[in-house]
Amino acid sequence: MASPSSQNRTTGAFVSRLFYRESTLGPILLSPGFIFLIVMMAYPFVYAVYLSFTDKESGGPANFTGLENFQKLFSYGPYGRTVINSIVYTVFALALKFLGGLGLASILNRPFVGQRYVKALMLLPWIMPTVFSTMIWQWILAPGFSVANIILVEKLHIFSENLPFLRDERFAMASLIGINIWRGLPFFGITFLAAIQGVSVEILEAAKIDGASPWVAFWRVTFPIIQPIVMVVVLISTIGTIGDFDLPFLLTRGGPNDATSLFSLLSYQLTFGSGRIGLGAAVTMTMFPLLTALIVASLIMVRRRQQND
Amino acid sequence: MTTNPAVRKALKALPFYLLLGAVLLFLLFPFYWGFVTSLKSENDVYNFTGNFLIPERPSLSNYDLVLTKRGYFTWFANTFSVSLISTVISTGISVMAGFAIARLRFRGAALAGTLIFVTYLAPRGFLFVPLALILRDIGILGQISSLYLTYPTFLIPFATWLLSGYFTNVPREPEECAQVDGASRIGAIVRITLPMAMPGIITAGIFAFTASWNELLYSIAFVNGEANRMLTSGVLGAFTAGDFLIYGPMMAAATLASLPIALLYVMFTDRFVSGITAGATKG
Repeated sequence: MASPSSQNRTTGAFVSRLFYRESTLGPILLSPGFIFLIVMMAYPFVYAVYLSFTDKESGGPANFTGLENFQKLFSYGPYGRTVINSIVYTVFALALKFLGGLGLASILNRPFVGQRYVKALMLLPWIMPTVFSTMIWQWILAPGFSVANIILVEKLHIFSENLPFLRDERFAMASLIGINIWRGLPFFGITFLAAIQGVSVEILEAAKIDGASPWVAFWRVTFPIIQPIVMVVVLISTIGTIGDFDLPFLLTRGGPNDATSLFSLLSYQLTFGSGRIGLGAAVTMTMFPLLTALIVASLIMVRRRQQND
Repeated sequence: MTTNPAVRKALKALPFYLLLGAVLLFLLFPFYWGFVTSLKSENDVYNFTGNFLIPERPSLSNYDLVLTKRGYFTWFANTFSVSLISTVISTGISVMAGFAIARLRFRGAALAGTLIFVTYLAPRGFLFVPLALILRDIGILGQISSLYLTYPTFLIPFATWLLSGYFTNVPREPEECAQVDGASRIGAIVRITLPMAMPGIITAGIFAFTASWNELLYSIAFVNGEANRMLTSGVLGAFTAGDFLIYGPMMAAATLASLPIALLYVMFTDRFVSGITAGATKG
């Protein structure tokens, strides 16, 4: 008669042991997230690798075609432009966000009236939904009636004629880079500021006593200390910028003449526009070596930062 | 030469404040311009004579047009529910995973942390092609439920990353004391540690909500049909006529659609700032 209840007790004890021991509770708590990411990220990744070696088209079967997609891509004009565009977009945006971010951080590092509110306001480009702020930028740079041209040409007379912000190949790329900087600058500024404010005052005092100018003190003392954080921010932002979809999709659809096409957009257009799923997957796969290099670099940086803490 | 030290000090600080003003102008002008445009009538939107930076005859006609537009409230409700559901799912899963990685000693904890960070860095544009096929195979491609499944793919990695960092800094002693007093481990975690980690959990939650609200690629790639649209894709389609964009109502729609995030930001400014410095990012 006592057996069912004693069995309950032992199963109960077994379960409570599972939830008590760290060696079992850890995997239990981790498993929902882990299973989810296996199903929704690891599996799709393997699937994408497979698709990139097939001629899969929308509605059709997937036949293994080896490296044919990649050969096709390398002789496909828009793909070549996409690679170059991605390099230009990422290098310029990152270099300027990095320098601008340091500048912004040093401005904010100085005490002034209303600093709290200024900081909160400055973050808005990064906080506000990109899709909607990009719509505003489109209106600012619109051909014909753009407020940017009215101000630059008619009010300030800086230029003699309207600038083709989104219509000319070079201007379009420059506009995209500018908007990317506008959105990312607050993020760089605020993270750099936090890093700078974490540098101990004693070290900076010592540098000052040794006769270092603020400029020298920054590059010789402050920057080496904040470098690990700076690197993590730069790497994370690099990955985000290479993979950017929103800006070219919303502003130019990759045009004019594929001048602003980036990897994600080209892949999207091939997959959903022309239904060439295999080729679209191949485009994203060509990002993989670069992404791996960047991710490994980030991992090393994060490790180093954690060891320093 | 002025001899008054206060004046001299102010003059010395002038270039600094000018620079600060210029930076603020660059960062904030778009929001101002979008809002001002949303208050102009159809004729005034394209009228750049006189002082176009201030609406001469402010009108709410654009807002009227947006709010009476069929579908706007549906898109709003869709965006709200998708963001809320994916936030709750992702934050819940991430609290468990983040706690395990940060606080429990078990085999593979460090590896799990590294793998989560790797998935956190994968750009969204990287996996949407196979995801679309998988969603089609499950039979939910085109429906809103496809977003409940796909949004957590970018929310869970960063929320787990954020939370494991947060849990590392929550002291262990209170939890251990509660266990000495007879609480189970789970009981001690839920009643002692989770409340202490609440600021971090809120931070993860608002970032997840904001990221979902802002999502574009998945919402245009995985969802079909007017009634299933999110605000992002809905507004985009509604005020675009071929190459021509209807800017007045579009600015009103963008303002309205950004409002919930603005509200969240006003309520939780400090949480946003701490979340950003903890490494939550979109570039």
